[in-house]
Amino acid sequence: MSKITKNQKGLQFLLMGNEAIARGALEAGVNVAAGYPGTPSSEIVETLSKVAKEMHLYVEWSVNEKVSLEVAAAASFANLRALCPMKQNGVNVASDFLLHLAGSGTRGGLVLVSCDDPGALSSVNEGESRHFARLVEIPLLEPGNFQEAKDMTKWAFELSEEIKSIVMLRSVTRMSHASGSVVYGPLPDKTAKGYFKSDGFILDPDTGPVISAPVGYKHVVQQEKVKKAREIFESSPFNTYEGPSMPELLIITSSACTLYSREAVRLLGLENRVGLLKLGTTWPLPPKLLKKHLSATDKILIVEEVLPFLEENVKVIAAEEAKEIGAKTFYGKNDGTIPMNGELNPDIVIKAFGHILGVSYVPMTPEYEKKAQLTAFTMAPNREQTFCPGCPHRASFWSIHQALQIDNRQGFVCGDIGCYSMAALPCGFSTIRTLHSMGSGLGVASGFGKLEMFGMNQSILAVCGDSTFFHSVMPPLVNAVHHRANVTLVILDNSGTAMTGFQPHPGLGVDAMGGEAPPVDISRVCEAIGAKVEIRDPFDIEETRNTLSRLLKEDGVKVLILKQICALSPEKKGKKKYTMSISETLCIGEECGCNRLCTRIFRCPGLVWDKERKKTRIDDVICSGCGVCSLICTTGAIIRKEAV
Amino acid sequence: MEITIKGQHALHEEVRQAKFCTGCGACVNLCPYHAAHGDQIVMLHACDIKEGRCYAYCPRTPTDMDSLRKQLFNTEDMMPEVGAMKGFYVVRAGDEKLRSGAQHGGTVTALMILAMQEGFIDSAIVADEGDGLLPKGITVNIPDEIGKKGKSRFVVSPNVAEFNALAWVGGRKIGIVATPCQALALGKMRAKPVPTHAERIDQLKLVIGLFCGWALSWEKLSALIRSKGVDLKDIEGMDIPPSKYQLLQVYTKKGTVDIPLDEVDPACVRGACHYCPDMTAEFADISVGSARLPEGWDVAKGWNQVITRTSLGEQLLALARSKGVLEFRKVPKGNLERLKKASMSKKKTAEKNLAIRNGQPKDNINMDSQNPGLDNV
Amino acid sequence: MKNKTTQELKDPYNIIVTGVGGQGNVMASRVLSQMLSLKGYQITIGETFGASQRGGSVMSHIRVSVESSWSPQIPKGQADIIVALEPVEAIRVLAAYGNPAVTVLSNTRPIHPVGVIAGELNYPDLGEVKKSLAELAGQVHFVDATDEAVKLGNPILSNIVMVGAVSGLGILPVGIGEFKTAISNLIPKKHLDVNIRAFKIGIGKVSPYSLTNHGSGHHGSGPTAA
Repeated sequence: MSKITKNQKGLQFLLMGNEAIARGALEAGVNVAAGYPGTPSSEIVETLSKVAKEMHLYVEWSVNEKVSLEVAAAASFANLRALCPMKQNGVNVASDFLLHLAGSGTRGGLVLVSCDDPGALSSVNEGESRHFARLVEIPLLEPGNFQEAKDMTKWAFELSEEIKSIVMLRSVTRMSHASGSVVYGPLPDKTAKGYFKSDGFILDPDTGPVISAPVGYKHVVQQEKVKKAREIFESSPFNTYEGPSMPELLIITSSACTLYSREAVRLLGLENRVGLLKLGTTWPLPPKLLKKHLSATDKILIVEEVLPFLEENVKVIAAEEAKEIGAKTFYGKNDGTIPMNGELNPDIVIKAFGHILGVSYVPMTPEYEKKAQLTAFTMAPNREQTFCPGCPHRASFWSIHQALQIDNRQGFVCGDIGCYSMAALPCGFSTIRTLHSMGSGLGVASGFGKLEMFGMNQSILAVCGDSTFFHSVMPPLVNAVHHRANVTLVILDNSGTAMTGFQPHPGLGVDAMGGEAPPVDISRVCEAIGAKVEIRDPFDIEETRNTLSRLLKEDGVKVLILKQICALSPEKKGKKKYTMSISETLCIGEECGCNRLCTRIFRCPGLVWDKERKKTRIDDVICSGCGVCSLICTTGAIIRKEAV
Repeated sequence: MEITIKGQHALHEEVRQAKFCTGCGACVNLCPYHAAHGDQIVMLHACDIKEGRCYAYCPRTPTDMDSLRKQLFNTEDMMPEVGAMKGFYVVRAGDEKLRSGAQHGGTVTALMILAMQEGFIDSAIVADEGDGLLPKGITVNIPDEIGKKGKSRFVVSPNVAEFNALAWVGGRKIGIVATPCQALALGKMRAKPVPTHAERIDQLKLVIGLFCGWALSWEKLSALIRSKGVDLKDIEGMDIPPSKYQLLQVYTKKGTVDIPLDEVDPACVRGACHYCPDMTAEFADISVGSARLPEGWDVAKGWNQVITRTSLGEQLLALARSKGVLEFRKVPKGNLERLKKASMSKKKTAEKNLAIRNGQPKDNINMDSQNPGLDNV
Repeated sequence: MKNKTTQELKDPYNIIVTGVGGQGNVMASRVLSQMLSLKGYQITIGETFGASQRGGSVMSHIRVSVESSWSPQIPKGQADIIVALEPVEAIRVLAAYGNPAVTVLSNTRPIHPVGVIAGELNYPDLGEVKKSLAELAGQVHFVDATDEAVKLGNPILSNIVMVGAVSGLGILPVGIGEFKTAISNLIPKKHLDVNIRAFKIGIGKVSPYSLTNHGSGHHGSGPTAA
């Protein structure tokens, strides 16, 4: 039995925020969980998938976030409880359905968990998902610690059923991936039965059809739900205050920023001067509660990530109540006290105190700081991001780069999200030149592929992964074929959703719960859409390059599937195909004729430039034995032998 | 003249980006950073070596021509208009079958076969074609095979790239058919400007140069031919008869297609050729071109004019005569004068174009003011 | 082993475990945290995974306290112990979180960044690293954790050797007992034996022969563990 399913009230565990959310769902008697892998949310579905059998859950890695929300919604319509976790970008993908779902209403408790990534620690954006709650008019909850991550999730299901609306719970990386103490509650006995009743009166929320129309009526109903939530939020235990009754400065904060703010107050010993209003219900804001706290002070500092969502909503209430509570001074993002971008930390809040209260605090003596920073600058070389040793992407982009250079038409690659996004960097020979959201590479390429009539004569390539293909590349592929765009799509098929932790996808024969599932064949889908398809092994770099060179010269939509399993895949782990060695007599290193092609350009971490011996050597601990480096060495100095 | 050898970046800037590159292939197959695709040279990755062989060997980087000529030829043999000349002949291949497979007199093919049969060389690098006329160089080790590659091409094959690849392997005696720019590159290599792997050039035994007015850009030429309704796969050969005809003739399986020369020159001419002062491949051992005879083009097109420049060249020609590999006829009066005039005309055009381009009348690239041949009218 | 009660550690006590993605940094911080929670402490851990796994620097911040809900990011200059699975990562962490009293425990085996193995950046001499750490920290201990792990048959065990070494310092009230309980919840049974051996080797590595600041000869707050 896993620790996450221990059914004993009062047990305390050190849980990751995502695990706490999963536990909260279990304590709420969740029946269905569907999502798409996305850092920092992936562990929620992963945790539930591991106990799916034991807890009689249906857990699914859907093709994309929109479908995952639809799958979860179906469970709710059938009076079951469902959880739908995703990263911030997933909410964007699911947003159209979310909007209509907010209008149609729900039945069984339905909780959307959005895990934002302030500071873009594992994203190529730090977009905000909180605004969606306000935009589509649903309640928003934000846990301020790990216990709340569990308790709020459990309560979110109750709230959802009370107002018959989807409820959004927003976490951040520093909550989802951080760990803290969580005291368990009991696990319920589940007796839920799935049945979708829809033949009742058309406007009846429990028995009629589930539709967001007639909009005139349903929108009013929806707004009533939000009002009701607001009432409930006025007395929610998730909104807490600590500090003096008339604080010199009131901090209003939520989410992980609560922890930063609290620590900053304590470090500076400001407990008697600064009050901390922590909000767990951040949309709609409870106006009476806010009015009460706003009137007790003149200065308010709002600490949140990333945009001034809370700040602007609080200011609206302050403006509405100004006649009664007086004018206030606000500090936050709009006045520059807190940065408008990036993630926060206790030191940023400390700096804000310095600015507002004139409190000085020296975290490090200037001498120590100078010395430590200088030492780090001179002695700690930067760690650039790179593909793992044995990564098929390194080989694929090597061939793509060569083919584009030889093609000599200033060709470029439109990319999207995955480990291969790093091909915008030197580790992928800077081949990717546009990078946006999932599946956007081929869409953008499809656009470029029609610009010949304006004199554009460049070779156009797009790349995507196998999981991304199912997520959102099929529509642009249809678009490209039907509109006769001249593009080449390279599908980097490494048999899994690698970047987020190797989750399965419909191209594989296994599902989220480890059961057998019929795989969907990518090459046949592409052929059915009408593209010309070829499949190669990227580790055979000559064959790959020759094939690509040929395809680049052809008109129409071509798909080249480069199939080779990820170096980190559980199937592959540890098994070296080749033992690698260097012939020092053949290695010419820095000389004209080589100039360290393998270590300087190919840059696999398994190849080390020995500055003393002026030769390359293999780091056996790091080398994964893929053998590709021996194919790029022009003198034959890198030798590969099949491992026994 | 002070020559500074630079690296790839300078080569890229001063030659490729400046559109001086002739596609000779001298910078390819020295290392993994350049490749030849047809008649275009591409940079695969950036190299930061300060003094590169690519820069040193390129015929379009600054060259001390005077010094190079002194190293490779006898000063007494120097003729300012056409380079070193030991002898000037009008010849054709003695073997009729060989002549029929060749462009004009089959001299280049005959000499290369002879050199291989006599053991001067064991490998011959000649021009070849891939799909759609895409030029490339190949190595031939069997004398009979040389004859199969006897047709002229009007697009530069990067033969020096093939030489570099072969020389890397080592232990060969290599003969090569070279355009003037390629012969210059090989000449620069023979002077061993950079010590790294310099001994590889010792495998070069024989350079047979081709007279050249200009080369055509493969991309533009193939587009022009296709626009005339010709399938590139059907092409068997091409020729440009003497200027009075003003034609490019394309020989196809379905017959001959005549293309007016004014559609070819200057539209399809490789830009870099406008700056080339070398018509007769002045840095080869033997230079071969088409002949001019009083009987007219119908007869002349079966003969070649040959300049021997080195003692090896003379030796090979003498051997060819004694074995009947080549047939000789008397050089018509005035032929050498005509050749000199044509060569000077190319030099003057090059000088003029360079002056316009560089905005100064003298000391332009390859046009060192001490370079003999230019101050003479 | 000194038996410390929950009152004796500074509150919150801040531990940073740092290294390169793939070294088992997360496992090390989990084990150590579990060990401490068995002694009744409330633990908060802040971690970065995801993109940083691909060859980047990683850090886990561990807050040890009687209460929960500290910031998962340690404030500037507030580290008490830095456990470095890789030597220059210790230097990098000190620049933001160091102070003259911090205890640094570092592995000796370098993992060269790609920029270094590509011949572009320099990796400092280990002697220089040791000297710099001694100048910036209260006490410094070096452990050849990777070498020991390789002897045990798997280089990744270096993280457990380091956890043993932390325990061996005697600053934290945890030892082999807590380790055995904590590790058995985290890994399959068949690996328990070798992990316990690694832990014990780590304890033994924290010896009197480590560098200290200002040449004071002060060796830390307690004897090495039993």
